[in-house]
Amino acid sequence: MKQLAYNIFRKIKRYLHLYRVFLSQNLKEDMIYRSNFITLAVMDIGFVSVSVILFKIIFTHVTSIAGWTFHQSVILIGSVGIIREMAYLTFRRGFLELGNHIRKGTFDTFMVRPMAPNIHLAFRHISISESFGEAITGVVLVIYGILHLNNWTWVSIPLYIIFLLNSLFVYYGFSLLINSIVFWVIKTQELNTIVYFFMETSRYPGDIYRGVGKFIFTFIIPIGIIATVPASVLTGRTSWSSALIALFVGISFLTTGILVWRKSIEHYSSASG
Amino acid sequence: MKKYITLFHINWQNSLQYRFSLIVYIFGYSLYIGVLLYLWSAIYSEGQTVGNYTLSELTTYYLLQLMINSVIFSYVSWDVIENIKDGYFSNFLIKPIDYYFYWFTVNLSGKILEGLFIIIAVGIISIFFRGHLTFPGTSAALIYFLISVILGIVLSFEMDFCVGMITFWLTQVRTFKFMLQTIILFFAGAMLPLDLFPDFLVRISDFLPFRYLVYFPVSIYLGKINNPWPSFAILIVWILVFYGISRVLLLRGIKRYEAVGI
Repeated sequence: MKQLAYNIFRKIKRYLHLYRVFLSQNLKEDMIYRSNFITLAVMDIGFVSVSVILFKIIFTHVTSIAGWTFHQSVILIGSVGIIREMAYLTFRRGFLELGNHIRKGTFDTFMVRPMAPNIHLAFRHISISESFGEAITGVVLVIYGILHLNNWTWVSIPLYIIFLLNSLFVYYGFSLLINSIVFWVIKTQELNTIVYFFMETSRYPGDIYRGVGKFIFTFIIPIGIIATVPASVLTGRTSWSSALIALFVGISFLTTGILVWRKSIEHYSSASG
Repeated sequence: MKKYITLFHINWQNSLQYRFSLIVYIFGYSLYIGVLLYLWSAIYSEGQTVGNYTLSELTTYYLLQLMINSVIFSYVSWDVIENIKDGYFSNFLIKPIDYYFYWFTVNLSGKILEGLFIIIAVGIISIFFRGHLTFPGTSAALIYFLISVILGIVLSFEMDFCVGMITFWLTQVRTFKFMLQTIILFFAGAMLPLDLFPDFLVRISDFLPFRYLVYFPVSIYLGKINNPWPSFAILIVWILVFYGISRVLLLRGIKRYEAVGI
């Protein structure tokens, strides 16, 4: 038992070290395109502003959406941005490059290195700039939202962070599942279009879904929880049952994602060989 | 004319090759529209209403928007940008084909193919929402709707072509295009019906041509516009204006063209 715990600890320490090395390497790459950084940030801020404006317009006609007030919805939109940046800081861009690697056969490198291919792929393409603007606006929106809440406590912040991480697991598991298809049908870069719509539609509170929709958008395409549950936790709207369901979905998506990915990777036939 | 028919045919077959990505895109966008329909159902089930819309009208609005996004909106400028940037444009300088009408034909064949796919998708979603659909009250409304869609295809293509022409001056045109696309969708009424906007935004949208891409055709379909002729007149003026701009940009662009790769 003690030995097992020690091994896991060593493994985590090693990956943290690798993350640091890869991060500094990617940062150097990012620095080459400094003007790109600003353009992307401005663009992101523009896109997020449009969603806020849309919600603002809807709220000039209604007082709440499935129980969510305007300020709670702002926290929801902000959370999507934060989760997106967390994903870019870990795995997201790797999947965007996956199609290229497979077509050109450069995915071979990922197979022979002494680390798991999915983690290597993720770390190789860490990006700060890609979603930086959205993260900044995300944090600003969340703080703005919090300042307008009256039932808010400091305790909810660590819980919020835990559920953000849980959502990151959901996002990662979902991405792994979708991108596993790449090994079976080679020409499918469009797969990440699905992932894009996945995050776009998670801006709307999960409470709007009823009946079959509720089931589908919780367990199959979990857009009803990915941003909704962290935002609910922060705004004190969550119930124990929905929090537990979210954790269950997080763990099951992560594990099935990894299992399916490992199975699919056996199908990889190198294009360069 | 014959060469454009051949071109139409070739591009049709090319597009068929990419049917997988088309289906994925349509699936993703249908998901987005589906979520919005849930959103409105939730709002209306709480006894709230927005503007002059019933839930059926809003549902129909978004389903038509889903269709219009495929049928009307031109995305051909992505290829135009590529074409100019990579220097393939040089080939067109010596070919006996008009660059504007070349892309017009390519766009048209793509739009008709995409239209067939999207009609199937909208049909399937409609089954789920069959209790919440509105149909045009008169056959005149249906005919006006079709006219507005055809004019919309032309206007959207022209605006998109102009964006492609910017590549002659600005190589980083993609970022610009992304931003413009969002602004167009916003003021076209693709995200929310324009008459739900606050007054000052409505007034801005009145002066822009974008409203003719989504809000105008859908409003005709829903019977909210009884006499569309004045708007048709303005729309045709916009089409002529953008045709002129396209031609001027193309003529001036050719003079600036650097022919990468030669």
